[in-house]
Formats: sequence, structure tokens, C-alpha cells
Amino acid sequence: MRSPSILATNPRLWGARAGRYLRSWGYMIHLGAVALVMAFTPSTWNRANRLSTSRYIYASTWQVLPWFTVLTALIGLVVIRIVLVTARSYGLSSFALEMLVRVLVLELIPLSAAMFAALRSSMAFDAAALGLARSGLPTAAAGAEAVRELRRDLVPQVLANAFAVLSLAMTSGAIVLLLAYLNVYGLSPWGLTEYTRTVARIFDPIVTIGFALKTILFGLAVALVPIAAILELQRYPRRLASSVQPGALRLLFVLLLIEAGSLAIKYI
Amino acid sequence: MTTTDQSPDQPAHVEAKAAILLVLMGALIVAFVLYVMYARGVFEPTQRLFLETDNSEGVAPGMDLTFAGFPIGRVSQVELSTDGKVRILIDVPSKDAKWLRMSSVFTLERSLVGETRLRAYSGVLTDPPLPAGSVRTVLRGDVSEQIPRMVASARELLENLVNITSPGSHVDATLANVDTITGRMAGRYGLLGGALGGDVEAKKMLETLDRVNALIARADQRVFGKHGVVDDSQDAIRQLNGLLKDARTTLQKVDSVLVEAQGVAANARTATSDLAPLRGEVEASLRKVNRLVDEINRKWPFAHDTEIKLP
Repeated sequence: MRSPSILATNPRLWGARAGRYLRSWGYMIHLGAVALVMAFTPSTWNRANRLSTSRYIYASTWQVLPWFTVLTALIGLVVIRIVLVTARSYGLSSFALEMLVRVLVLELIPLSAAMFAALRSSMAFDAAALGLARSGLPTAAAGAEAVRELRRDLVPQVLANAFAVLSLAMTSGAIVLLLAYLNVYGLSPWGLTEYTRTVARIFDPIVTIGFALKTILFGLAVALVPIAAILELQRYPRRLASSVQPGALRLLFVLLLIEAGSLAIKYI
Repeated sequence: MTTTDQSPDQPAHVEAKAAILLVLMGALIVAFVLYVMYARGVFEPTQRLFLETDNSEGVAPGMDLTFAGFPIGRVSQVELSTDGKVRILIDVPSKDAKWLRMSSVFTLERSLVGETRLRAYSGVLTDPPLPAGSVRTVLRGDVSEQIPRMVASARELLENLVNITSPGSHVDATLANVDTITGRMAGRYGLLGGALGGDVEAKKMLETLDRVNALIARADQRVFGKHGVVDDSQDAIRQLNGLLKDARTTLQKVDSVLVEAQGVAANARTATSDLAPLRGEVEASLRKVNRLVDEINRKWPFAHDTEIKLP
């Protein structure tokens, strides 16, 4: 069983635990680097890998995209209405659109897309691998099998998950931008110039690059953290008994770290 | 496309669907990037305008320059020049540059709530257009900068007001005096009591008036009554008339004296007119004597003295 907290262990073991913790992070970063290098190597893209990637993209994006978009559109519509009505009642409607775009498109939608993709695909994959690891096979054999499967699917999985986050965020962002326009200006095309100026004011080069980087990092985190956790699990079979989804907490932590970093760079 | 290595539970056309997704996402990303670039005016020809001010607070890249409420330019950069002034670099799209003229005025307004506004005012649109790269000074209108001064003035005003209304102040004393006066006015003698300082004084005043009245009645008696001043004056005037008559008689006598004097003067003039022939006769006699003397001299050879001695 994993100890609940570093504070609960003997202080003499703190150093060892910190070292293991750092090694774990290092392994994750190394795996990410390997996956990226493999993704940019032409020989990786043989027929089997292409098919595998397609399958993952289908599972992580195609199946999810329609109703995720509908869901975010509905929630976005509610938020847009609330913000607009409140802003109008205070006479601040000129700031409402900018606030909506900044809050919804730049922050909330990428974060929720990342969470969604993580729950939908990465964790599901982890669960499959865990199931294999917990099957009747001897621990070593199950571990080896799981690692083999993961290695085979590593690059397709990473790419598919990153793509899923990007697609979900971009599509929902575009839909919410459209909804915001319709809510503020109605069906009239005459607000387009002003709307375009607002969008231009928000998406200055730093914000645009930050938005793109954040979405890509979200995608990589969602793709990498759970896989790294499950691969690492094979090396420490004792942890299999843990009821906590491997990598879930770390993924949450990484996502929050990226979000906080992005906010700090943009607004501080 | 699905082939032989496809597993039985594999969905149909999975590769095609993945390709469609990839293409759609690629198109969406490219479209979004192009839209943002268009919105930021990357594809639009612009001209540069430099605005100078002493404080760039509230000015940020991306801010609009508005003319009559319409955005006609965008702040692209804010920098500090070598002389310590702030230079705001503004990109004005060429199609909107016509609103900026040589006589245009630029203002930077900061309000308490809301963003800073950069505005252009072109009063005379027939002026020559503003050339590219022009440098103009911005007029600042900062509400928050005026607040401390306003608060200081308000405090001063309030202090003055407190001083004015405090017990023992001039206004308080004046009001107390007004109260006293109106209190007196409400007394028996009304306004007179208020003006003179009390009922006793007002009473004295009324007594004085009564006395003045009595005095006037007596004076009337003395002046216009029987044997008054007016009667005496009339007597005096009568006597004066008599005196004037005497004077006139005396003057008539003087007139007659003057007539006589005129007669004397006429006689004297006649005598004067007789003198001229007399003088001629004397002169003729003298000339005769002269000739006689000259003749004697000629006949008298010893005498060298030619002087003639008149008798």
C-alpha cells in the first residue's frame, strides 16, 4: 500500500521518497520525449501504426465530438446569457463580450476539453491495462504484456489524445464565439466589424501563442501522464492493489499547473 | 481504409473518418488563424502615427484610436523616447486615414471606471490630410489626477463652511443680531424700535418729533402770523420802493446836467475848428517875416550868421 502522505513516513525515508518522486517525473518526461521523437520519425508511420492512430482518433474524437460540442454549447449559452444580462444591468455591456471570450474560449473550454479527453480515453486505456495487470497471469507476465501493448500503442495513443484535446477545444471555442456573437448582436451582420475588433483586441500575439501552447500542452499531458503512470506501475507491482486510478492525481496536478502558468503569463 | 488486419469490432471507415477529422481541424485552425490575422489588420495597408505624451498610464498595445466613436486606428507599440517622453505608435488603416487632418487634436482620457480612451477630433475636414509618420502631442484629461485637488478644495470649502457656521462666527453673530433686531421690531414701536435699539429710544424719538412739530407751529406763527417776519419784510420792500423813486429823480437831474455839458463841449469843438485858419494866417505871416529876414541878410553883408531868430 502506498503511504497516504510523506509526512506519515519516517523522516529518515524522506530523502528516498523524494528521489523516487523525482525519478517518476523524470520517467514521465523521458517517455514524452521518446513519444514525440517517434512521432516525428517517418519510419514510425507504417500501415499498422496509421491504422492504430486512426482507431484512437476515432475513439477519442469522432465518437465524442458531437455531443461534447452540444454540451459545451448549452453550458456556454447559459454562461453567455448570465454574463450579458448581468453586464447590461450594470451598464457594462461593452465589456461583456471581451469577458466572455476571455473566460470561455481561452480558459474554461480548453480545460474542460482536456478533462473530458482524459476521462474518456486515457483513463479508459489505463483501466484496460490495469485489468490486464490484475488478471490471473503471473505478475511479471502480465506486466510484460501490458508494457508491450503500451509500447506498441504509445505514439498513436499520445497523438490521438493530444489531437482530441485540440479538436474538442477548437470546435467548442468556435461554436461559443458564434453563440456569443448571436447573443450580443442577434442575426444582424452589422456587428461583425465591432466583433472582429474585439476578437483582435483579445487575441494579441502573446495570448494567441499562449492559447495554442496551452492547448498543445494540455493534449500532451492528457496523453502522457496516465500512460507513464501505468507503465511505471509495472515496475512497482505492489501498487496495483491501490484503489486510486494511477496518474489521475498527477494529471490533475499537471493540468492545473499548466492553467495557472498560462494565467500568470497572460495577466501578471 | 479498413483492410484484412482490421479487428471484427473495428468501426467502419475508421481511417477515412480520422482523415476527415484531421482535415476539418486543420481547416478550422487555419481559418481561425487567418481570421485573427485579418482582425489584427495584417492584410491591411496602414500608415504610422506617433503620439507624444508625458504619461502612458492606461495605454496598452491593441487599444483603439477612435474618431466620433468609431475605431480608426490601433496602438501597436508604446515606448519611451530619448527625451523621456512617451511615444505611442499607432497604425491607422489607409482607408480611415482620411479622418485625420493637419488640424486634428488627439486626447487621452482616463475615467474612474472603464478603460482609457484615445480619441481624435478633426474640426476642419477640408484641411490637408495628416501625412504618414506625423508626430502629434496628446492632450491628457485625467479624472483621477484631479481627484486629490478636488478633495483638497472640497475640504477647504467644508472647513470654511464649518468656520462660518460654528458658534461665535461672524455669520452666527450676524444672525444673532438679526434675531435681536427682529425681536425689537416685534415690540410696541415696530420698525422704529428695531432701528433705534429699543422701545425707550423709540419713545424718545417720538417725543422729539412731537417737539419738532410744536417748534414748527411756533415758527409758522412767527414767520407768517400777524407782525411776523413776512409783514416786516413787506414794509421794508415798500420803503425800498420810495428810495428807488428818489434815486430815479436824482438821475433825471444828472441827465440835464449832462445835456448842458454836451452844449459846452460843442462850443469847444467850434472854437477848435476856428483855430485852423488862424494857424494858417500865423504861418503865412511867419513866411513873410522869413522872407523879410532873408532879404535883410542879403542886404546886410557883414552878417554871416544866417540864423533867423524868430520873435
